Amino acid sequence: MGVVYIGDRSAGKTHLAMELANPKSEHVEVLSPDYEQLKRILVGDDITQGPKPTEAKASVYECRLDIQVRLPTGKKPVIVDWIDTPGEVWRSNWQMNNLDEWNRFLKTIRQSEGILLIIPPHRGLNFQSGVDVEQFMSQQQWCNRFDRWVEFFRQDCSKTRHIVICLNKADLFCNLEEEAARLVYNPYGSGMTWQQRHTYVLQRYFRPIQPQLEKINQSISGLAVRCCITSVYNRSLLEIPWIYLGSFLTN
Amino acid sequence: MGNIRIIGPRNSGKTTYLAALAYQPNKDKRKHKYLQVQALNDDTRLLADKAESIILQGASLEPSITHFRTIYDMPVYSFNIEIKHFLRKENIMLVVRDYPGEIFDDLENGTSNKLSKEFIDECLAQDVSGCLILLSEWKHGTDKSYSRILDQFIQLINRADRGKDLRLAVVMGKCERGELWPGRLDPEIDLFDIHLPETKSILKRGILHTNLHFYASSTFGVLGRNDPRPNRIEEWGTDGRNSVLREPERWRPYGLLSPLYWLSTGKKMGFDI
Repeated sequence: MGVVYIGDRSAGKTHLAMELANPKSEHVEVLSPDYEQLKRILVGDDITQGPKPTEAKASVYECRLDIQVRLPTGKKPVIVDWIDTPGEVWRSNWQMNNLDEWNRFLKTIRQSEGILLIIPPHRGLNFQSGVDVEQFMSQQQWCNRFDRWVEFFRQDCSKTRHIVICLNKADLFCNLEEEAARLVYNPYGSGMTWQQRHTYVLQRYFRPIQPQLEKINQSISGLAVRCCITSVYNRSLLEIPWIYLGSFLTN
Repeated sequence: MGNIRIIGPRNSGKTTYLAALAYQPNKDKRKHKYLQVQALNDDTRLLADKAESIILQGASLEPSITHFRTIYDMPVYSFNIEIKHFLRKENIMLVVRDYPGEIFDDLENGTSNKLSKEFIDECLAQDVSGCLILLSEWKHGTDKSYSRILDQFIQLINRADRGKDLRLAVVMGKCERGELWPGRLDPEIDLFDIHLPETKSILKRGILHTNLHFYASSTFGVLGRNDPRPNRIEEWGTDGRNSVLREPERWRPYGLLSPLYWLSTGKKMGFDI
C-alpha cells in the first residue's frame, strides 16, 4: 500500500520526483534516496543536462522513497512506492506487447492507497509571453486525453482512496509566487483549508474537465479527487500534494 | 467503565464524532476547565492526530471500511474523562467502538452476512453498557427506513436478552443545519417528533423508557453564539456528501459528551461540550 505516481508523457514526472528530493525542503523531506543519488538515477551521468524523457523501451521504473511529512501533529514518516512509467505505457499496443509488465503495474495500482497523477498544461491556459504553446495539446485534445484517465480510474482504481491530480509546469501559465502565496500550506496560520485550496485550483485551472472529475468521484466509493498545480520552481506548490497524501497515509 | 458501541448509517459522521471528542477543538475555552478528556490508547491518540491533521485542515476522514476480516481489526477508542463538579471531581472511562455504516444498513434486510452478525453479537454482548445510534437524515422515506432498521435492532436486542439493561441513546447528528439547530434543546419533541415520528414511536414501544434517551449533537457546530450558520460545508466526493469545516478556527462541537455520559453512568450531564 503506498502512493503510485503516474502521468502523461512529457508531463514532467521525473523532474518533479527529483526536485522533491532537493534538500531545500519546507514540509516534505525525502530521507532516501538522497537528492544526488536520485539525480544520478533519473538524469544519468551527465548531470549538466535536465532530466531526459523516460524511454518507451525502458521498463517501468520503480523506486521506493522514504518521505517525512511535517504535519501539525509532528513529523510523520511516509513510505512511497514510486512508480515512474514511460508515457507509452498508456498506449494499448505497449500494453499488449508488455503484458507481464502491464499486469504487474495494474496489480500495484490496485493495491495502492493513493494516486498522484501529473498532467501537462494545454493551449487554453493563459501562458507567459515567450512560451512556445505549440508544444502543448489543444484544450480539446487535453480533455479527450483526460477521458482515458477517467476510464482508467473507474476500471482499474476502484479501491483507491485518494487521487490527487497535478497540473504541472505552473510556472508557464500563472504567476508562480502569487499563487504559491495564496495556496501555501500553513498548518498553524490562517491559510486556506484543503477544501478551499481545491476549489480555487479547480475553478481556475481545471474547469474544462470538471464534469470528468465529478464522474471519477461518483464512481469510486469514499473518494474525493483533489486538484493541485505544481512546478519544480516553487517548493511550496511542489509539496502540497504530498502533504495532502501524507495526512492520510501516515500509518 | 462504559463500554459503548456507536452505530448509524453511512455518512452519519460516527468516526468524526469520536475524532472531535478525542481532539477537543475547544479545549482552551473557559468551559473546558471543568472537563478534561484524555486519550488512553494508541487508536484514540491516532484519531486525535487525524482530527488535527485532516479535519482541522479542511478535509474529511475516510469512510470506515468493511474490508477487514474480523471485528477485532476495527479500532477501539478509549477515553478518560474528568469532570469537575462544584465540590468534587468525577472520572469516567469510556471504551467506544464505532461500526461501519454498512452494518446499520444491513439491518434493514436482516443481518445475513457473517461479518454483520459478528458486529451485532459484539454490540449486544453482556459487557456493553449502551449503544449510541447516530442518525443524520430526515428526508422523504428516511423515517420509514430508520424505523424498519430499528425495529429489527430491537428484535435482536430482545433475542440477546438485553432488553432490560441495554441503554440506547438516539442522537440526531449534524444539528448545525438550520432546520435542526433551534430544536437541539429539546430534541425528543422538537427533532424526533417532528422529523422522525415513526422511528421515535418504534423505539418508545420497544425499549424501556428508562433505557432510552434522545439527544442532539453537532460535531462541527455553528460559527458562533450570534452567528448560527453551520460551521460545515459539503464538498464534492462520492454522492457529493463529504463534510468539511467551514472555518476551522471556529470549531466548537455541540452535545458530544452527554449521550456517552448517560450511556456510561445512567445519569444526565449538567453541561456539555
